[in-house]
Amino acid sequence: MRVVVAEDLFLLRDGLTRLLSAHDFEIAAAVDSAPDLLCALLDKRPDVAVVDVRLPPSFADDGLQAALAARQQVPGLPVLLLSQYVEQLYAREMLADQAGAVGYLLKDRVFNDDQFVDAIRTVAAGGTVMDPEVVSKLLGRRARDEPIARLSGRERDVLALMAEGRSNAAIAQRLFVTEKAVSKHTTSIFTKLGLAPSEDDNRRVLAVLAYLNC
Amino acid sequence: MWMMLKVLYRFLARLLHQLGRGAWLVPVATLSMLLFGINPWTVAAVAGAVVVAVRLPVMAASLLPAALVTLGICGLVLVATGSGATATWAVAAPAVWLLPRSFQQVNMQVAVGKLVQRMTGGPGRVVVVGRGPRFFLPGPHPAAALKQGFGAARSQITINAVRPRPLPLPKQVLSPAHPPRGQVAAIVIHGGSRFPGFVSWQGPGARGGVLLPLALLLLTLGLLLTPQVLAGLRGHVTGMLPWLRRRMLENRWGILLIPVAVLGLSVFGVHLWTVAAVIAAPVVLIWWPALAADLVPVLLTAFAVRGFGIAAHWQALPLPVHLPSTLYGAILVSSRQLALLAGGEACLFLAAAAWLVPRTIGAHAHGMLASQPDPELAGRVQRLTETRDHAVDAATTELRRIERDLHDGAQARLVALGMNLRAVERMLPGRPDAALALVAEARETSLRALNDLRSLVRGIYPPVLADRGLGHAVRALALDTPLPVDLDIDLPGRLTAPVESACYFAIAEALANAVKHAGARRVHIRIRHADGMLRIEVADDGAGGADPAQGSGLRGVERRLGTFDGILAVSSPAGGPTMVVMEVPCALSSPKTFSC
Repeated sequence: MRVVVAEDLFLLRDGLTRLLSAHDFEIAAAVDSAPDLLCALLDKRPDVAVVDVRLPPSFADDGLQAALAARQQVPGLPVLLLSQYVEQLYAREMLADQAGAVGYLLKDRVFNDDQFVDAIRTVAAGGTVMDPEVVSKLLGRRARDEPIARLSGRERDVLALMAEGRSNAAIAQRLFVTEKAVSKHTTSIFTKLGLAPSEDDNRRVLAVLAYLNC
Repeated sequence: MWMMLKVLYRFLARLLHQLGRGAWLVPVATLSMLLFGINPWTVAAVAGAVVVAVRLPVMAASLLPAALVTLGICGLVLVATGSGATATWAVAAPAVWLLPRSFQQVNMQVAVGKLVQRMTGGPGRVVVVGRGPRFFLPGPHPAAALKQGFGAARSQITINAVRPRPLPLPKQVLSPAHPPRGQVAAIVIHGGSRFPGFVSWQGPGARGGVLLPLALLLLTLGLLLTPQVLAGLRGHVTGMLPWLRRRMLENRWGILLIPVAVLGLSVFGVHLWTVAAVIAAPVVLIWWPALAADLVPVLLTAFAVRGFGIAAHWQALPLPVHLPSTLYGAILVSSRQLALLAGGEACLFLAAAAWLVPRTIGAHAHGMLASQPDPELAGRVQRLTETRDHAVDAATTELRRIERDLHDGAQARLVALGMNLRAVERMLPGRPDAALALVAEARETSLRALNDLRSLVRGIYPPVLADRGLGHAVRALALDTPLPVDLDIDLPGRLTAPVESACYFAIAEALANAVKHAGARRVHIRIRHADGMLRIEVADDGAGGADPAQGSGLRGVERRLGTFDGILAVSSPAGGPTMVVMEVPCALSSPKTFSC
């Protein structure tokens, strides 16, 4: 699987390429600025890109802008954003085109390499991965709303994991229950929130995130 | 006939609909004629009411409760004093309430004397009729008592029994040949050459029966309408607040013009020109602030001259003194001793004027004539010094907070991390299982340290603000707020970083207040930039009662904005709604872009 890495700090870039190489990724390019990233994304057309939000030249959200620009020209180009901070605003902008194949994670998540690599593969496969912090903020904002308040505690856990972009199998593993139990919960959640049920994992995530007003 | 009535009714209804509630100002103003009689004041009031009701119906509607309350209070004063004289009740009424009985008699007599003197300026006619309050002019013969009271004016007065036309007089009209029994109810003074007209002095017996309920009714109506009008005005007033605050900071001495003009009423008495001065004072203050500041010492000097004149006049007379008493500032001069005291008061006025001259006229003259520092420049320097102090204070406090946060948070966690790793080093050969647990703990600690640093950085300079500027940062802030926030943001470019940061934290503070203290259900944020001025409004529908003077949060915001010549104004009546308006003068720059 070919991957483009964009990160301006040498140590982190080096660490990321090593980690990805160790997990059988092919590094198509490792760049350190937004213009280079945009060129690499458009020229190399990687299977997935791992991008730091804050990049030179202006050290603002250049990485995000470059990724959005590339996705405008190549719709659905898989991009996983990494950042020291997660902002609902940026999550919204990534999700706005409804094309999926996006991820938005705190840099800390790199510490757990298995989960991190899983997330990259999910994004590369067209899935959506949101950082738990984004999801908890979304849920916190809607906690007082009537339909969310009607969910049971377990259903809320499932909803949060669904919004993070996990499949039923992953949720079952995480909550130590059977996949059948999870699918019962998801059906119940979709009924309570008045959403149309969907078998497609990615469309399900997008529906949930849209419901949470992300 | 019926058709005519119908047409008339329709016309009136349409007129009333067009003018709105403001149309009621005219009948209310007309009531003043009933209370005070037909004289230049009341005629002017009615004419003014008609003009305002037709040209500025909204303003007329907002003036209505004030007019009702004023009329009600005037009516109550009239009932209390039993006096219908427009020209002197303002002087006499406080005396009636404050002074002992015996003094009141003197005061009333003197007041009548003054009145006759001023009104007639030559031989006039005085009519004495009916019954009146006990304290008013007792004695066997009211005409004699009057003469006694007139003092210096006595020689010019002839007292006649003439029925003045415009007043509905009581039946009993007295002539000098038939002196009245009992008390005097009404004195009608027919003017002479200087002031044609009349002034009536009527007791409750004559008009009080209707006056008291009427006055109470007007007062109640006015008070009932006041909250409505205030609520309607609040929107306008909040919009004006930053402008007013700016004016007040710029014209600190000009503000004094208004109280000084009001003081003029008690120094020179209530005349057309003193009242006009009170009305003119705010106009001058708003349009020509420098002139207003210059006028303050001039007026004070005029007060002093008048005071010295009164004192000299009384001292020059041989004893016993027969002069009508004069009100001068806080002193009712009715003896030589009190005249001396008035002289002392005049000295105070003069001293205040002398103190103000170098600060107002002197400073302006300097600025105009020579290369001396401009007073406005000096004021600016002072303001800059103040705001710089605030800025330095704020920066120091902020640095200390950051230092403390780092010390207690990330730094402490890194120490713990180091200790953990050291323990792992020792355990690894002998107890690898326990070492593994410690490594997991160390990783957990590093995550917490990262979290601490993240929240610290967010407090120093929020990432979205750094990346995208104020508009997007406020959008992100609204997303993180557990309330529906309506945004109306129009910022075509970026502001300078310090202004952006100050405005961002100001909005965050206002928003946090709305969530935490006001218990609001909805917040509205509006940001605009026009003519080099950034204007931010944060409105919520919460409980209100926010006071920047008490809460340190809004006060800190005000100081921080002050560094950029920004202004914060809060309108937050108890019960809400709260509106925080900020204005910061600043420029916009165009946003940056890049391409492949």
